[in-house]
Amino acid sequence: MNPEEPAADRALVVPGGSAVAVPIVVRNELWSAADPAAYDGGRQSDITHLADVEASGLARRDDARWSGLLEVIPTKADYVLDLLRANSLWPLLSGLACCAIEMMSAATSKNDMDRWGMFPFRASPRQADVLIVAGTLTTKMAGPLVRLWEQMPEPKWCVAMGDCTCSGGRYKRSYSTIEGIDRVMPVDVYIPGCPPRPEGLIYGMMKLQQVVKDRRGQWPDRAVGPTVPTDV
Amino acid sequence: MTAPSRTGPQPSADDPRVMLDRDIGVFEPVPPYPPRTEREAEFYTLGDGQMLLNMGPQHPSTHGVLRVVLKLDGEKVVDLDPVLGYLHRGVEKLCENADYHQVISQVDPLEYISSLFCEWSPVIAFEKLLDVDVPRRAEYIRVLSGELNRIASHALFMGWFALDLGGLTPILWSFIERDEIVEMLAALTGQRMLFNYFRIGGVNGDLNHEFMSRLGDWMSRATKQIESNLTLLNQNEIFVRRARGLGVIDTAGALRMCMTGPNLRATGVPFDVRRAHPYSVYPELDFDVPTRTEGDSLARYLLRMEEIKQSIRIIDQCLHQMPDGPIMAKLPRLLRPRPGRAYAAIEGPRGQYSTYAISDGTDQPFRMRIHDPSFIHLQSVGVLMQNNLIADTMAIMASLDPVMGGVDK
Repeated sequence: MNPEEPAADRALVVPGGSAVAVPIVVRNELWSAADPAAYDGGRQSDITHLADVEASGLARRDDARWSGLLEVIPTKADYVLDLLRANSLWPLLSGLACCAIEMMSAATSKNDMDRWGMFPFRASPRQADVLIVAGTLTTKMAGPLVRLWEQMPEPKWCVAMGDCTCSGGRYKRSYSTIEGIDRVMPVDVYIPGCPPRPEGLIYGMMKLQQVVKDRRGQWPDRAVGPTVPTDV
Repeated sequence: MTAPSRTGPQPSADDPRVMLDRDIGVFEPVPPYPPRTEREAEFYTLGDGQMLLNMGPQHPSTHGVLRVVLKLDGEKVVDLDPVLGYLHRGVEKLCENADYHQVISQVDPLEYISSLFCEWSPVIAFEKLLDVDVPRRAEYIRVLSGELNRIASHALFMGWFALDLGGLTPILWSFIERDEIVEMLAALTGQRMLFNYFRIGGVNGDLNHEFMSRLGDWMSRATKQIESNLTLLNQNEIFVRRARGLGVIDTAGALRMCMTGPNLRATGVPFDVRRAHPYSVYPELDFDVPTRTEGDSLARYLLRMEEIKQSIRIIDQCLHQMPDGPIMAKLPRLLRPRPGRAYAAIEGPRGQYSTYAISDGTDQPFRMRIHDPSFIHLQSVGVLMQNNLIADTMAIMASLDPVMGGVDK
């Protein structure tokens, strides 16, 4: 491919709003059920459209697509992607202070965040989706932390764990701390507590999953590039 | 090409052209200023075949936000330069602007794994300033909760040390122990980590039913449980061979480096503040001060595990000897000690915590100096790590068990 070619020429052409796109049908020629009677013996379902489901009264229109009554699941690719993103949030393994211990506690046997798809903790920002800022952010650490945030690939989310990161907490009056990390980076979920219990962190991460699914996160609106002045 | 403008359509972050224009990704090991001391000039002058490598401040195994610049010759660490201050919260200054009761909540998050010990030494120093007699029941409760906290701290040490040597399982086990103990202490104090429980002249609350029942449950199987956890590591050939002979320091070196606590006792010096300069009710309690003579990482690990058993002994005696009575001395709401100085030292899980407080007669300490063992132990890292491999640096640092909150204060 010619690298000089403008990007717009290669972009996917989307039909207009009123146009009906021809569905892409992928035939299953690779796999067949062991029992020939399974899945209704491969028969076509009587119900083929959402309108039929609604008319039959078996499910409301909102539930119809997941009800199993249809052979296909009509949806948007974005919706599926968000579902995947929300259920495999990979946090960055970056603890700053006290809250980091409770973050680890949330990840280990007793609380086990893995059950809700908030695992594994990645040590590299290149592989992480969520930055859980756990602990007091000092002026000296602010630069490296923002650099970590900038190194994470989009889409990404930020969780402020603990009072220190939400507002400064018990160190608000200190000369060397930053009163809330929202001064240096966008935050999606705030979890108060000094430190919050592991259950609190898990609750906050579940809220974040809802944010991801609802597309309410900060990342679509966020300008690309450094979000903080260079002298922080 | 020019840098992307902030207005108009934004290019995708995945576009490599955007990444090229941005000055991110490299943490320069060399400081941007000319060397300020002879030591800096020596360290940042590279010999033949040497290179500098930056590690941290965000590194999964530095136990917090420590940054270390390593000077390497091949894979050998020739020298290193720790860069501190990434968690400096100005606690000592905050304490000077808080009254004596508020100081307790300010010093709590210093060593966040063993918060009760951070409270303990200032509280004793203030009691000396005020000349208060603490009720005996309060002293017993302090010892009881403190020893529980020591076990929680040592249990976490076991998991982290193994994690830095590459073992993933022990940390799961150690967090099970730690979670049980902190839930128990939460029933007593109301918080899981930063307890804020000790008061000047006593403790905040008396023993309650939930704490006692959780403690009874745990005590009935604690020894067995900890023994079974230890078999994970003590009989593991890989772990023992890796940790033995790693980061050896002799008695003279440890004393020169001002080591205290388990790190000093692992070199054969039976110095324990609880015995050497007794405080609280420790003279009435029967426990041993374990020592080892090897002075390597394995000795420091085994010594801490031995201390867990001694702590269980102390807890058992506390429960049997616990007297009745008040848990707080009678004190005015506003504390104004007479002008003077007080020093108090206690034995924490990492070594000697001590506080030097100066009162000028007002309701706030004029100056409060906190001596923290983590900071003192971190200075010996340079001695221990020389001519070790990169992979061993974190293991040696983990065997000293520093907590960055205490290092940077």
